[in-house]
Amino acid sequence: MAASQTNALNWFLHRITGTFLIFFLITHFWVQHYDHQAASVTHEVVTEKGEMPDYPEEAEEGVEARMGSSAEATPYQVVMQRLADPVYAVLWKGFNILFLVVALHHGFYGLNNVMTDYIRNPMGRLVARALSWTVALGLLILGLYSVITAGW
Amino acid sequence: MQLNIEIKRYNPDEDDEPHWESYEVPAEPLDSALSLLLHVKWHIDGTLSLRKSCAHGICGSDAMQINGENKLACSVLVQDLADGDGDTITFAPLPSAPVIKDLIIDQSRFFEKYRDVKPWLITDGPEPEREYEQSPEEHAMIEDATKCIMCGACTHACPSTWADPDYLGPAAMLKAYRYTFDSRDDGVEERLDVVDSPDGLWKCYTIFNCNESCPKDIDITRWLSALKRKAATSQASTTA
Repeated sequence: MAASQTNALNWFLHRITGTFLIFFLITHFWVQHYDHQAASVTHEVVTEKGEMPDYPEEAEEGVEARMGSSAEATPYQVVMQRLADPVYAVLWKGFNILFLVVALHHGFYGLNNVMTDYIRNPMGRLVARALSWTVALGLLILGLYSVITAGW
Repeated sequence: MQLNIEIKRYNPDEDDEPHWESYEVPAEPLDSALSLLLHVKWHIDGTLSLRKSCAHGICGSDAMQINGENKLACSVLVQDLADGDGDTITFAPLPSAPVIKDLIIDQSRFFEKYRDVKPWLITDGPEPEREYEQSPEEHAMIEDATKCIMCGACTHACPSTWADPDYLGPAAMLKAYRYTFDSRDDGVEERLDVVDSPDGLWKCYTIFNCNESCPKDIDITRWLSALKRKAATSQASTTA
């Protein structure tokens, strides 16, 4: 039997992050991929023209072929404009950073569970855990850099 | 009716690997699964080895995998396993446990984990002159957990046990719950030290296999979740 080494906090955070992920994922998919009306309102605010930017023809055909003739998609420029907007940037950057932290903790705690299921050697567990959290830290830095610098 | 019984056999003195053997056994719908195995042992092949004692779902010695699910052989009826003539019922030892012979598993690891959680009353104060008292409300907290007969069906139905033989498993942790939440017990910290470990509570992923397999219908996952909350809040109050 291994010596007591509590994981209570991580377990608790896993529940909390899981609950938050439901909200973050729904909001993310809704705003980024599905909600044409609300997204359009946002775009009107954040774009000077008040119009959706033009799609390249190939992109329009691709979206229509996959999602039907009435489908719209949020292009890269809009996402960048949203993240550059003086009013909305703080909101969306804050949202994305929280989303990033929550998703990384949730995913990597789950991964650690899987690893300790199959790695029984204490030293092997330590190495796997250190490696996985190092990767998580790398992804966090990369993600933070991408979100913070987007729209600059 | 006539049933086809398939049993996973293994004799360490003769076999390199376990193998399946088939037997034709007469049965009635209200026969127990155990009676099929006893028919094989008494009338067809006396070398078949299995554990059984009370045959009434109390001693917990005949837990095994029947038609792919962990059950007590004495507590499940033929009518719940087969529809009619020629149907097949399979019997195998509990999964992930070392097999001694045929349907008999080595339970030493299972009971070692059981002892790890200190399954006895730990008290601080002086011994009372009469019995320790407990109100019906206090007993209601642990009553379901006290029904456990230590058959091992739950622990060997848990994928965390299959992956990690060091995992404490639901049976031992249910016992930890039973004493941790016992109003007469003072050993909460000692027991939480054992279950709040890398091979303990946090490897329970709440998939309910233990509930499904429990022959006493104990709501094991629910009590393990309560134990997790207890460990988490205890940890929080310790660090606060």
